[in-house]
Amino acid sequence: MGIGIDIVEVSRIEQMAREHEQFLTRVYTDHEITYCTKKKNKYQHFAARFAAKESVLKALGVGWGRDIKWTDVEVVNDPLGRPQINAYGGVKKLMEQKGISEILVSLSHVSHYAVASAQLVKGK
Amino acid sequence: MDEKVIYEKVKESVVEALGVDDDEVTPDAVLFDDLGAESLDLLDIVFRLEKEFGIKIPRGGIQADALAAEGENLKDEDLVVDGVLTPLGIEKMKQSMPEIDPSRITEGFRADDIATLFTVQTFVSITKKLLEEQGK
Repeated sequence: MGIGIDIVEVSRIEQMAREHEQFLTRVYTDHEITYCTKKKNKYQHFAARFAAKESVLKALGVGWGRDIKWTDVEVVNDPLGRPQINAYGGVKKLMEQKGISEILVSLSHVSHYAVASAQLVKGK
Repeated sequence: MDEKVIYEKVKESVVEALGVDDDEVTPDAVLFDDLGAESLDLLDIVFRLEKEFGIKIPRGGIQADALAAEGENLKDEDLVVDGVLTPLGIEKMKQSMPEIDPSRITEGFRADDIATLFTVQTFVSITKKLLEEQGK
């Protein structure tokens, strides 16, 4: 069906956020910014979410561009803390075209690196 | 602004964003294949150029510009269907972005994947165009 994986250096995300004021708002949703900013190691959380967005796009077999923006993939946590994907805009449209009902995602991060993997689930 | 001046500043941004050597950056260097860039690096370059030149590079603006259907009695769906370039879209992309290796844009190519073929010159051209639009 489709899987994707991505790894990100936490320091690279921190550097982008510190050097470019538009980075966070261009890449993350308000919900993601609020969630990560509250965390002690916030850049690990931002990095894991960046990896999640990339892994979802890899699973779907597309790149960022004309029809797809970074905020079209949002990572939220359910009440048990498990990450879930909300899709919007171009990504939602693509999922509908491909008959995908859900995208599963798993995240992990340590001080230097964050990884994520995504798996597409076909609709019933 | 003179294209040579733009090129030098684009080159500087690419060197800083990618941490590559000065002499590796040439107008036809492909950012992904030749300079080892990833999508985050493209974003870094875009932000640096926006700051350096006081411009705003719209999301997907480079591709969207190359595939602009206006003024030619073309509709969007004549060029891109379900994210994939039509034969006409492929022709238009090759014409609009002559710096990109045309042999890489083949049947089934997705419009959103064009960023993987961007060269240093692609950023010089878009910067020049945006500056001209602003009368700079």
